Amino acid sequence: MNVIELLSVAWQGILSNRLRSALTVLGILIGIASVITLIGIGEGAKQEAEKQVQSLGVNLIYIRPGQVSSMGISMGQGNAPTLTYDDAVAIRENCPAVKEVAAQYSQSFQVQYGEKNTMTQVNATEPNYPDIRNFYADRGRFFTKRELDDAARVCIIGDTVANDLIGEGNPVGKQLLIRGELFDVIGVMEKKGMTQGMDMDDQIFIPLSTGYATLFGLNQVTGKTVRNILAQSKDGEDWQAQFQITNLLRLRHNIQNPEEDDFMVRTQVDIMQTAQSITGVFSLLLGATAGISLLVGGIGIMNIMLVSVTERTREIGVRKALGAKHNQILAQFVIEAVLISMTGGILGILLGVSGSHFISNIAQWPTVVTPISIILSVCVSLAIGLFFGIYPAKKAAMLDPIVALRSE
Amino acid sequence: MSNVIELKDVWRIYNEEAEEPVYALQGVSLSIRHGEYSAIVGTSGSGKSTLMNIIGCLDRPTRGTYMLDGIDIENRTDDELASIRNKTVGFVFQQFNLLGSMSALKNVMLPLVYAGIPGKERKIRAELALKEVGLENRMHHRPNELSGGQQQRVAIARAIVNKPSILLADEPTGALDSTTASEIMDLFGRLVKEGMTVILVTHDPETASRANRIIKVRDGKILEDIAMGTVS
Repeated sequence: MNVIELLSVAWQGILSNRLRSALTVLGILIGIASVITLIGIGEGAKQEAEKQVQSLGVNLIYIRPGQVSSMGISMGQGNAPTLTYDDAVAIRENCPAVKEVAAQYSQSFQVQYGEKNTMTQVNATEPNYPDIRNFYADRGRFFTKRELDDAARVCIIGDTVANDLIGEGNPVGKQLLIRGELFDVIGVMEKKGMTQGMDMDDQIFIPLSTGYATLFGLNQVTGKTVRNILAQSKDGEDWQAQFQITNLLRLRHNIQNPEEDDFMVRTQVDIMQTAQSITGVFSLLLGATAGISLLVGGIGIMNIMLVSVTERTREIGVRKALGAKHNQILAQFVIEAVLISMTGGILGILLGVSGSHFISNIAQWPTVVTPISIILSVCVSLAIGLFFGIYPAKKAAMLDPIVALRSE
Repeated sequence: MSNVIELKDVWRIYNEEAEEPVYALQGVSLSIRHGEYSAIVGTSGSGKSTLMNIIGCLDRPTRGTYMLDGIDIENRTDDELASIRNKTVGFVFQQFNLLGSMSALKNVMLPLVYAGIPGKERKIRAELALKEVGLENRMHHRPNELSGGQQQRVAIARAIVNKPSILLADEPTGALDSTTASEIMDLFGRLVKEGMTVILVTHDPETASRANRIIKVRDGKILEDIAMGTVS
């Protein structure tokens, strides 16, 4: 008996009870489809997170104030006024692994243009910000070093701000009021969307010096604090840069015990790893949920195969009387189980792939069906058929032909 | 003529280790020659079914020797017995035992599938066997589309398709009306004339009377062994 004959015998067994076979196939189908879809959702989330981290910039290092605790009471992370403009200057001058530095100070202000006004984030920074963040002016231009030095009253507005305040028409050349101070619009930033929970298009960029002088009320006397410092390491030197910055800031802030750091230095790789560990857990949870439904489907196969063996005891007896050997009966039932699970698997893959597309389209949620998850599904459905089919098939093959022939 | 079946002092004991063993066969010796038409008769519980199971290689003797067509049945594995059944024994059952999901032709092809005969030859031989029993027009019908007599003819075709040494028929007319039963018995008569060794197992004296030799079994022993002479 060759493989094709065994397949055809098993196929006849499946066809002899179509409804039951179809329902069993459905169990596996749903299991595999949910595995493909849910892993697709998880994978989509992972890639989306990676894309967002990548969109932060290239070789980005993010330095922000850490927590200050006074007498053991934490003041919260990131809100301490511990980083200054001088820190940024020192990093630029003293850290050889650092290519670019841009300090940032931001605050929300009321912004007016003609009759319209809006509340938006004013981000005072330095001219190399676009290069570090990989975020450029789309129309007009970003401000220059000269304008920074002169504390020029120029601003570059985000796409959302441009739409809200100016609407149609070119904003470049217009003037608007930020907290009552007049600024020339010299550029509009490109559209970037949400990054790390922040709308990158709803902000206004001005030179840091201008911000200190006109909006924030900070000077040499009060101390020019910054909200954060963005640095860009040279290629492949991100951890050296991180090390140099950390040591420099400890020296400058007079910190001996690393646990008392009043700042945080995180590289893009750190941020990526955090994002990956979160999405990894997410994927695992989704995969496990789907795996359970697959297991239930597998038990369904075993159940049906056991019923089938019992029902077809006489058939097994007849086959044995006519000369079927132990392994031929075994193969017949194992192949039957595998055929059911593989049919479910393949249909499940089709449903899962289209389900993923459906979710992508309807819920605007990115899903990614990887070839690995398809190959894995095929292997898993094969394994399920084998695993849950072997026991009923063994039961069939071990039947005594005399007893089997006598059964009703 | 040589013997196709040779039982010597065959015992079949169930639960031999237990306190009350069941002695289904108690020292049966029996020889059946090639081409003989015999009937094993007895009431239920007489041991005739056990004897049939042993002759058909579905069961093994507890003690004693059994030679089937020159093959010693002692110490054979289940798979070896399956192979011997496939090649040397043709079974006909009271309830026909056709597989309902297959056509008559496929049912008849089944023993050839297990014999490892290639597909084309299988089909030719199955068609010939069905012609032999007069069902050349019913080859593609399923069992439930056939009458009882036709189903039993399919079963007989299935039994003879692999050219067995013996045809073992267990109450072959038990589920049929008398007219159909008679037709089936005529078919057996014809097969005997063509040289087949046929063994009927029955409790019905009328069926048994068609055979040339009647072997009466009671309490696990052969009570009588009567040669009738001519083929009826």
